[in-house]
Parts: sequence; structure tokens; C-alpha cells
Amino acid sequence: MFETIKELMLYKNLIISLTQSQVRKRYKGSVLGVLWSLINPLFLLVVYGFVFSFLMRGRIENYFLFLFNGLLPWIFFKTSVVMSSNSIVGNAGLIKKTYFPREILPIATVFENLVNFFMGLLILIPALLIFGDGINLMIFWLPVVILVQVVLNLGLALFFSAVTVYLRDMRHILEVLTMAMFYYTPILYTMDMIPERYQPFFKLNPMAPLIDAYRQVLFKKDIPDLGSLLWTFIFSLLILVSGMKVFKHLNRGFAEKV
Amino acid sequence: MEIIRVEDLSKKFILSSSPGTLKEWLISRGKGSANKEFWALKNINLSINKGQSLGLIGRNGSGKSTLLKIICKILYPTTGSVQVNGKVSSLLELGAGFIPDYTGRDNVYLNGSILGLSREEIDKRFDSIVEFSEIGEFIDQPVRNYSSGMYMRLAYSVAVSSNPEVLLIDEILAVGDSKFKEKGLNRILELKEKGTTIVFVSHSDAMIKKVCDRVVWLDKGLIVGEGTPNDVLPQYAQ
Repeated sequence: MFETIKELMLYKNLIISLTQSQVRKRYKGSVLGVLWSLINPLFLLVVYGFVFSFLMRGRIENYFLFLFNGLLPWIFFKTSVVMSSNSIVGNAGLIKKTYFPREILPIATVFENLVNFFMGLLILIPALLIFGDGINLMIFWLPVVILVQVVLNLGLALFFSAVTVYLRDMRHILEVLTMAMFYYTPILYTMDMIPERYQPFFKLNPMAPLIDAYRQVLFKKDIPDLGSLLWTFIFSLLILVSGMKVFKHLNRGFAEKV
Repeated sequence: MEIIRVEDLSKKFILSSSPGTLKEWLISRGKGSANKEFWALKNINLSINKGQSLGLIGRNGSGKSTLLKIICKILYPTTGSVQVNGKVSSLLELGAGFIPDYTGRDNVYLNGSILGLSREEIDKRFDSIVEFSEIGEFIDQPVRNYSSGMYMRLAYSVAVSSNPEVLLIDEILAVGDSKFKEKGLNRILELKEKGTTIVFVSHSDAMIKKVCDRVVWLDKGLIVGEGTPNDVLPQYAQ
């Protein structure tokens, strides 16, 4: 595994170039391009926001900001995993004709979505300043939370990108699974709205403490729950290590299967 | 000094009709698979020293390209092993890493990094790449507007600019006008002078004679002849 990391360091320039070119592809047409990539989260925000702000009336203050704060990291998670699952299969030409560490493809997809996530934060943070309670120094925890999520996303991206080569319907399965997971993750609601006896089940979700941490440091301007963040980090590292192992194993057949 | 070592290498392909899905896997569990097997390479042993140029000849389907792809780690061997001690650059298909919507400039950077070059290294070589390719001002046009000759010339220029220790070439000099072909060949000979190890697949006897000091003849996945071009080529022609 350390050999893989060493090789990836040698190819860091390719990771940067691929990320750049994918980001550019997404934002092609400059201003309007950026707008389009933000329309999806904003649209979701408006739809869920209107529906659920009635349901949640009085239970969560400033519901739109609360929701947007949870929605952005969720979209980062979902698009990273779903798009990566296509990253090997969708680049058959490169895989069959050129050599480079294949891990780079899902990695660049996660980074592309990370850039997109930053774009979202560029809207969220001003919105917190204008419509919410502003921000404070707790925002310096934000990079830590992002780092934990990037580790988790990378692990799952590596795993699913490799598996999809052998099981082509994985992408559809992921679409359905992430839709279910959206409701399983406290994005529209908070963890303490869940009845006590179901809470252990909801706490199995690694995205739950992450969304909570994002909200602590931005929406609530408070310190994140460091204990659960640490556990999530350890869990995410385990996912990343196993993702890399599975990828390395399945990698041997990529050029024949894509 | 040995730079490439191929030991008891065999490669089996499984010819399946469709890519697998979870659905199929669930349905066909327990039943034996009806997929056909095909051995593309059988018990290949090869040793290539630094600075040598090896030509691979053989009819279509004899395993030449498969062997190249295994040496550059695109494919993995079924049994046996391949060891390469150096930086490999492969020219299996020109422009394989090109993205049509990007400009020539962007594609040079992207392809350069696929070949393992750093940004600074590409910066340094950029002008000579453009000059060699004779693309001129079109470098800032999307490559989808290029003629196939321009496309090929740019891809070729990037690939030979990377100063690899090992260069794997698969039948790519067959394209382009005769002037560029000659320039391309000269560039390969230049790299050879500088000590680059070359593995070269070609159907052109003239090309093989110019570039290679040793030839390996493959037939149906087996090595059937080996020696200098002057020894092996006449046998192969028969």
C-alpha cells in the first residue's frame, strides 16, 4: 500500500491536471457554468426547504440555513461516490491504452467534487453572514471536518469505482442506496428528533457525525463533538485502507473488463 | 545491465460476451460459466538489456501487443512475472489520452502528466514539443478541430519528448506524411543513441532493420524465432 502512495505522489501532477480539466469541463462557459453546477443544490434547498420548513415549524430555527448547511456536505458525499463509480468504466480509452496508477481516476473525481463543495461554501458562508448569526473562529475547525470527509469519500470512491468494472449495475444500485441514505442521515432533521431506541441504528451512519460537525462549526458556531469526529476519522481511514486494498486487487483486470 | 525481465509469462483472456452485472451474477450462481478461454501468450521468457532495441514481429493476433501491454502494466500476467527497472513511456495508440474538447495546449499538459512528467518539465519542453509537431498557432484550438495528421503529430511529439528509460512503441509510425515519418523515426534513433531501451512492434521490415538490434518472432503466443534482424526477418518472410 505504501508503494501505491509513493507512486501516486510521483503522479501528483496528473491528479492536479485531471481534477483541473474535469472542473473546467463542468464550469465550461464560465459564469453560467458555475451557476449550473450550483443550481442542483439550490433547487434541492428550495424544494426541501419549503416542504420541510412547514413540517419543522418551530422545531428548528432558521431552517433554510440549517438545511443548506447539511445539504452541501451531503451532495459532496453523494456525487463523489456515485460519479466515481463511473470513473474507471467511463475512461475505458485511457485504461486500455495508457499506463498510470488507476487510483488517480476516482481520486480526481473526489477532488473535482471537493472544488464544487467549496463553491457551495462560497454561497453558504455569505448566507450565514447575511441571514443567520454569522460565523466565528470555530470556522477554523472546518478544514478538519472536510479532511475527515475527504478520507471517507476517497475510500468509498476507490471501492465502488473498482467494483463497478465487474458489476456494471452498481451505479444504479448506488443511486437507490444513496437516496435511502439521504433520509437516514440527519440532513432534513436533527439526531435528537429520532426516538431514543432507534438512535443506535442511526449512529451507525458515518455521515451523521460529519453533518453534525459541519453544523456545529458553521450554523451553531460551536466546537464539534471531537470524540465522535475522531471515531469517524478512524472509521474513514479503515474504509480508505480497505478501499485501496480492494482496488489494488481488482485493478489487475481493469484493461480487460472495461 | 538488464532492464526488462520477462519470466515464464503466460496470459489468458476470458472471452465473455457481456460485462458482468450483479443481476447476472445472482441468476447464474451455481451454474458453471460458459465463457471461452484464450491463451494470448504462452511461457514467454525474455531479457532485454539497457540500451538495446528489440523488435517484435509476428502476424496479427500473435500476442505482440499483449506483450507490450503487459510490460507497461496495462495488462497483468496470468502466470509468470515481468520486471522493469526504469521509467516506461508507451506509444500504444497516438492520442489515447487526448480529450477532444481541450485545446492542444491543455492536452499536451494532460498527456505529459500521464507520461509521468511534472508541470515544470512540461513547461520546459513545451516549445520544442510544439515546434516538433509543426502545429503552430493551432495549439490553442480544441483538438477536435485538428486533422488526423495534426492530432497524430502532436500526440507523437508529446510521447517522444518524455525522455523515458524504456520506450514501447506499437505500430504508430505507420501514420503521417513521409516527411514527418522520417522525422519521427530520427527522433526514435536519437533516443536510442542516448541509451533509451526500445521495444518496437512493427510490420515494416525496413523500420525494424533501422531501429532494432534484436528481433523476437511471436506466433500464436509462442516465441518461434529470435536473433538479429538479418537472421530472423528472412525466415519470417517465408
